[in-house]
Parts: sequence; C-alpha cells; structure tokens
Amino acid sequence: MEQFFSRLRGPWLSAPAALYISLVFAVPVLWLLGLSLVDNGAPSLANYERLASTPLYMRLLGITLKIAALTTLFAVIGAYPVALMLSQVRKRRNLLLLLVLLPFWTSFLVRAFAWMVLLGRRGAINQTLEGAGLIEQPLTLMYNTTGVLVGMSHAMLPLAVMTMLPVMLAVDRRLTLAAATLGARPGSAFWLIWFPLTMPGVAAAGMLVFVTSLGFFITPALLGSERDTVIVQEIIFQIQQQLNWGFAGAIGVLVLLTVLAILSAYNAVFGLSTLGGGIGKAPQKGPVGRMASRIGTGFLTILARMTDAALSLVPQRLSERGVSHPLAATSALILAFLAVPTLFIVPVAFTEASFLSWPPRGFSLQWFDAVTTDPRWIEAVGRSLLVAILSAGIGLLLGVPAAFAIARARFAAKPAVFALLMAPVIVPNIFIAVGLFYLFSRMGLVGTTLGLSLGHAVLAIPYVLVTVIAVVRSYDERLDLAAYTLGASRAETLRRITLPLIRPGLISAFMFAFIVSFDELTIALFLTGGETITLPKKMWDDAILQVSPELAAASTLLFLFMTGFVIVAEFIRQRAAKRGA
Amino acid sequence: MTITRRTLLGSAGAASVLLASPAVLRAQDRVLTVRDPGGPYADGFAKAFYEPFLKETGVRVAGVQGEHAPTGMISSMVDAGNYVWDGSILSDNAHQVLVEKGYLETIGENSAINEIPSQLRTDYLMGTDVVGVVLAYRTDTMGENGLTSWADAFDVEGKPGLRALRRSAFDTMEQALLASGVSADNLYPLDFDRAFDQLEKIRDDVAVWWTGGAQTSQLLATGEVDVCPTWNARAQVTIDDGAPIAINWNEALYTFEGWGILKGGPNVDLMREFVAFCADGSRQAEFTQDLAYGPTNPSAYADIPEDRAAVLPSNPEYFDKMVKSNAEFWGEAGDSANERFNEWVLG
Repeated sequence: MEQFFSRLRGPWLSAPAALYISLVFAVPVLWLLGLSLVDNGAPSLANYERLASTPLYMRLLGITLKIAALTTLFAVIGAYPVALMLSQVRKRRNLLLLLVLLPFWTSFLVRAFAWMVLLGRRGAINQTLEGAGLIEQPLTLMYNTTGVLVGMSHAMLPLAVMTMLPVMLAVDRRLTLAAATLGARPGSAFWLIWFPLTMPGVAAAGMLVFVTSLGFFITPALLGSERDTVIVQEIIFQIQQQLNWGFAGAIGVLVLLTVLAILSAYNAVFGLSTLGGGIGKAPQKGPVGRMASRIGTGFLTILARMTDAALSLVPQRLSERGVSHPLAATSALILAFLAVPTLFIVPVAFTEASFLSWPPRGFSLQWFDAVTTDPRWIEAVGRSLLVAILSAGIGLLLGVPAAFAIARARFAAKPAVFALLMAPVIVPNIFIAVGLFYLFSRMGLVGTTLGLSLGHAVLAIPYVLVTVIAVVRSYDERLDLAAYTLGASRAETLRRITLPLIRPGLISAFMFAFIVSFDELTIALFLTGGETITLPKKMWDDAILQVSPELAAASTLLFLFMTGFVIVAEFIRQRAAKRGA
Repeated sequence: MTITRRTLLGSAGAASVLLASPAVLRAQDRVLTVRDPGGPYADGFAKAFYEPFLKETGVRVAGVQGEHAPTGMISSMVDAGNYVWDGSILSDNAHQVLVEKGYLETIGENSAINEIPSQLRTDYLMGTDVVGVVLAYRTDTMGENGLTSWADAFDVEGKPGLRALRRSAFDTMEQALLASGVSADNLYPLDFDRAFDQLEKIRDDVAVWWTGGAQTSQLLATGEVDVCPTWNARAQVTIDDGAPIAINWNEALYTFEGWGILKGGPNVDLMREFVAFCADGSRQAEFTQDLAYGPTNPSAYADIPEDRAAVLPSNPEYFDKMVKSNAEFWGEAGDSANERFNEWVLG
C-alpha cells in the first residue's frame, strides 16, 4: 500500500487513462483519419491535393477559428466575475452553481430554438423594444456573427466558470489580506496578487472553451449568417452525404494540425504547465514565455493603477469580506443572461400553439400531458442520467490519477501524454462516433448502456484532466509535506489532506463530465444504433418536423426535477453540517 | 394466428413448404429492426406497416431512429458485419450513394411493387413516400395567391417580402434555374453557371439561408420570413397550427424515400418480404394520417379522404405539375456543386 502511494507522484498514474484513450479513441480515430491517405485502395495524396487546391476549406477553417476565439474571449471575460463571486460566497454556493448550470437541463437544440425566438426579427426582444417605442425597425440580432456569439458564449460560460472556480477556491485568501496589510490598495491587491494566482484557471478555461467551440456546428448553423459556416459541417457532409471518408479524414487532419499548432504556441507563451501555474515554485518558461510574463506583469500593473485611481474617486471600497456590490451586480447580470433561454422556455411550455413562439398563446397543459404520458421520455431521462453518471465515474477514475501525474511528475513523455488525453475534445465528435462504432460493433457493445458510457468517458477524460490539473497545480504541496512531518503516511495524507482540499475540483470535474455526456448527441446516435434512447436523442427525434413546445415542457420538468434534487441535497448537507458542528 | 400464402412463400422459398410450420414458429420470435426518421414517420409507419406485419406474419418490426442521414451508419454496419438494422428508410439521394459503393441488397419484385410508378422506385429502393420541395409563403404579407412559380420566389421587386433559401446546392440550384426560365424537361444536367447568375441577383435580399427543416417551420410560423422553399410536410405543420401559410405546388420539386435493405444482413429475405408488404396501396394510405408525404402506390388515394389528399405531394392533381429531383445527377455532381455553392455563399 505504502509502496503504491509512494508512486503517487509518478508518471505511471497517467498510464491507465493513456491506455484507455489509446485503445478506445486513438486507434479507431487514427485508422479513420488514415483513410485520407488512401485512394481506391492505394496510398495516395489525392485528398490532400484537393484540400490544398480548394481555397474554400482554408476559409472555413479561418471562420471556425475566428468564432472559437471570439467565443473564448467573451466566455472567459463573462465567467471570471461569476467564478470570483462564487468563490466568495459561502452558504449559497451550490444553489448559485445551479443557476450557472441551468442551460444544460435543456437540450442544445431547444436552447438554439429559444434564442431564435428571442432574437428574431419578430422575436421577444424586438417586440418588447418596439412596444416600448424604443426602436422603429426591428434590430438584426441574429443570422449574423452576433447571434452565433450570443448562442456560443452562452453555451460555453458554464464550462469556463466550472474550470475557474476550483482554482479560485484553492487560492489562499490571506495573501490578498497580507498585501493590503503591506499597503497595497484594493486595485493593486486584486490585479497584482489575486489575479495572477487565478491565472491557471483562466488559462485552463480559455483552452477548454476554445477547443470545445471548434466542434460546435449546430449553433452557428441556426443562429449565424451564411458566412458563419464552420468546417465541421463539411466533415459531416463528407461522411454522411458523400460517404467520402478519405476526404473527411483529410479535413479532420487539417483541423487537428491547426489546433496542435495553436497549442504549441500556447505552450511557448504560457507553458502547458501553466495549466497549473505556480504556487510555491516558478514554472519553467522559455524565452518567449519570460517575455510574455514580463509584458503581462507590466499590463497588470497598469490595470492595478487604473483601478486604484478609479476607486479613489468613489468612496466605495472593495470589501475584504463577502461580495462587493459591483461584483454582485455584474455576476447577477451574467447569471441572468445564462437564465434567459430557460426562463423563456418555461412559459412557452404552457402555450396552446404547436411552435415555440412569443408571446405564448393561451394556456394549456397539453404539452406536459404529452410528456408525462409518454414512457419514452421517462426512459430517456433515466438512461441519460445513468450513462452520464457511469461515464463521469469512469472519467474520474482514469482522469484524476492522470491529472496528478501531469501536474506533479516530471517525465519526458508528458507533453505527448497530455496531448493524447486532450485529443478527444479536439477531434470532431463525428470521427469519434464512427471510430467507436467500428470498434464496439466488433465487441458487441453497440446498443448497450455500457458501450455508450465507455464512449462518453472518452469525452469526459479531457474535461476531468484540465479541471483537476488546474486545482492540483494551485494546491500548496507544502501542506502534504507538513502532514508527513507530523507523521501521516502517504495514504492518510491523500485521504485526509489532499483529497478533501481538492474536493471542489473533483466535484467540478464530475459535473463537467456528467454534463458533457448528458448533452451529447452524435456519439449517442451511433453507439445506440437508435435502440436505446437518450434524452438529446429523444429531443432530436421529436424535432423532426418542428421543435414543438413538448420539448419545452420536457425541459421545464427536467429543470424542476434537478432544482428540487439540488435543493434537497443542499438541505440534507446543511443539516448534517449543523449536527456535526 | 393464420398462415397466409405470403408467409409461406416469403419466409424461405419453395423448398420450405415442407418445413412451413417450423418456419412460422421461428418467425414468431423473429424481429426486424428498421430505421425510420422518427416523429410522425414512426407513428404513421407503425400503424401502416409494423403493426399489420406483426399481425399477418408474427414478425415484430422494431422501428428505431438514427441520424437524419443514415448513410455513414449503414456503411459502418455493413463493413463491420454487425447489423444493428436490417433495413432503413433512405432518401433517393442517400440510396444512390450507398448503391454506388455496394451497401444495399436488391428489393426484389412482387405485384404490389409493380403498381408503383417506375420513377418512385429503383432496384434497391422501394419508395414509400413522395416528398415535395415546395414554395411556402405567408398569406398575411404576400396575399392568398401571392406566389405561383419559382420565378415569383426570385422576383423580389414584383413580390416584395423577406426571403429564405436553403444553404445548400441541393434543390436551390433547381429552383434558381426554374426561376430563370429553364423548362422542367431541360433542367438536367443542371447549368450551374446560369443558376449562380440567378442567385447572384437576389443574394442581398435573402434574409436567412436556412440549414435544417425544423428551422423552416419555425421561420414560417413566427413570420421571421415571408417566403421560404421547404419540404411540404414542414410547411404543413405550420398550416395545421393555424399559421397564415400557403403552399404553391406548381413547379414543386419532388423526390421520394423508401426502404433499402442492408447488404449481407442476417434477415435479407424477411426484409424483402416486409418491403413488398409496404408497397400495398391501402396500407400506405394509413401513414398519411400522421405524415403529410404522399403514398407511392397510386391506388392508395382510394382510401384517403379528400381533404387529406389535398395536402399530399403525389396527389394526381399536383403530381403532373411537379418536377423530379434527379438523384443520379446529384450522385455525380453533388460534391463539387456543394463546394462551389459554399464558396459562393461565403461571398
């Protein structure tokens, strides 16, 4: 036992995850991408020649990168104050987290349609503004890049919050207090002490949001203009319409290489290790990284001076305890933005019309009737919850040890292992779906709950990895050393010191993995063969002709169920805490 | 249960007559798994095909839903030799691609299949329903008989109103060419240069380039646009909900969908029997209650109430004025046309 835990810091901890991803993901996907090098059974570069000679694909790649970068910018900026606020509240954190996760209890499809009805020419926003006499002509809020960014930032904000929060919780608050004692004004204490300490979380969130955004295609297709077509759509067209897997593979390789190039640029500037950053020890940086950090420090100093100057004009002070008013107001606005589609979906579920429309027509419970009397809805919810819990469990089991290895161990293969474990987020889901289908159908796993859970676990691992690395990195290892000094064994230290302290990170990681599975469609379609039904699939089926209010009713019920669940859990937890005290 | 002639003949051929009763017994716990598009298809096909087939042969047909474009899944199944499905509803286009790569079995022949017009079936696809690609428009902004041709759809000055077009070369090319005055008989092979010239004229007046069918229903129902080419059933759901929408059937394009059988599967013969079963006209009439696509067997119209027949694309009243989308042409030209279209639409 002792022996085993003494290797806790060893690179070997990443072996199970690496093996799993290699077998279940890398082999089938590489085989699929390898088809791009074959033409009529013989090795050929024809697919790449076509790719190089057609400007279209580079343009689509550019559009995809632009949308992903802008989404990352907005999602990270929007998420920071929310995560900061959440890290400062004590009692109601779980309830507030529920608000952050609100968007996920409706399918991405319903969310996209909710935005369509909100932002449309005759949508809720334009109706309200026109009714108030504020505008003469309807505003163009969607079918342009604005619409795409609204929809995508909305989808990505919760991911960014969930990645940053555990890092912020792990930062020792007394450091900013110490800075204040030493004479730093609030602006300086924030920008020069607090903000750099939370950078690992920001960097991790940025990367995760960026790579996840690259795979989004339904939101740009429904909310964007004809100029917001992303490259994944072409991959899907080639796989599904043309059955030209070779060319699809070539486009896939183009996307992968681009992302790898961006990641290595990121590595040069921040260092992949800053997915941790350094509490206690300086991260090793190359010359580019050193220059970047010097520029960064300079920039933060300017921000600090400006904030201090601004604060000196108003009598208000950033309070050290509790949440300051400007922060609370900003967070409330962002939380309201997150809640908008859901708040809109609830009244629409009671409409008499057969469409999602604003304002809802009349009052009717027919859509709730339809959902509650159809056993397939219940089955779908049950199956989705089961698969999400299983895949998140597998994801944690494999991902957490790997995160320790990458955050703490030094080994030559680390960048390669990290890239391997992150790859499932970068590779478009359609490749994973087809690859897994090939693999699992030979093992008799297609159509089983286990098969789908194993498939979703592939997607869960990268999210678990990033979240846990960020929190392990910002975890002060000297606490472990102190425990050893006091006579604790390694196993005891892990159980009683390390794991309790990184618990917020583990919870975040689990919820992440859970959500990723709960909202996933493409892989579910392939791996279930259509027989076992999950919630997104049920919603997809029902939207065959129109997105009906039945989907809104299902979302509303699910939302009530999850809220009830969290409130009850919270109540039990608080009672237990009181009894313990 | 009753043993019908069809069961005997279909289950294992002439030699099985001696073994007839074991074959029937086996059939009782046999299951055919077929992929349909779900929603109203699932309801309609269950009543029209799955339930009667169970009653008549004892074979349970499980309708499951997969990806909207199931070609990728079918080729995976056949390549892997793992048949999650025995057969699938396929569009004419999708079946064309699969046939070319050898992923489908022939459907066989029987008298009911022969009743179906030859343009609504192939050796590998037995058409179940005819799908219209129609011009739908808002009557509150465009008038009751506002638009009567594709030329009207493209005439933004004469018929002012917000337009939506499909963000795809499929169908949009045909619409542009018909609007530019190409006659239906001379439509194929498509003159892409001419089509893009026509599109260029209204490019700035297209408010939305849509990407999915459910989106078009939403666009029309909420009045986001006034004019929108879409599949007739997508427009029909908005009309059924009371929205002021009309369908122009003149020059409407049509295509068909139907059963294809996966190559080399374990139940190919039984699947052929099921496919032949679905060719029957009165059975096809059943699904039109749920699904607003037309039966392929003309005899179905004897069993369809008049008001329902009025919204179905294979209705003889419209069918002659409609233009068939040429899947064979698209099988050849689809890839490069799509590339050119995407390049063009980016501007």
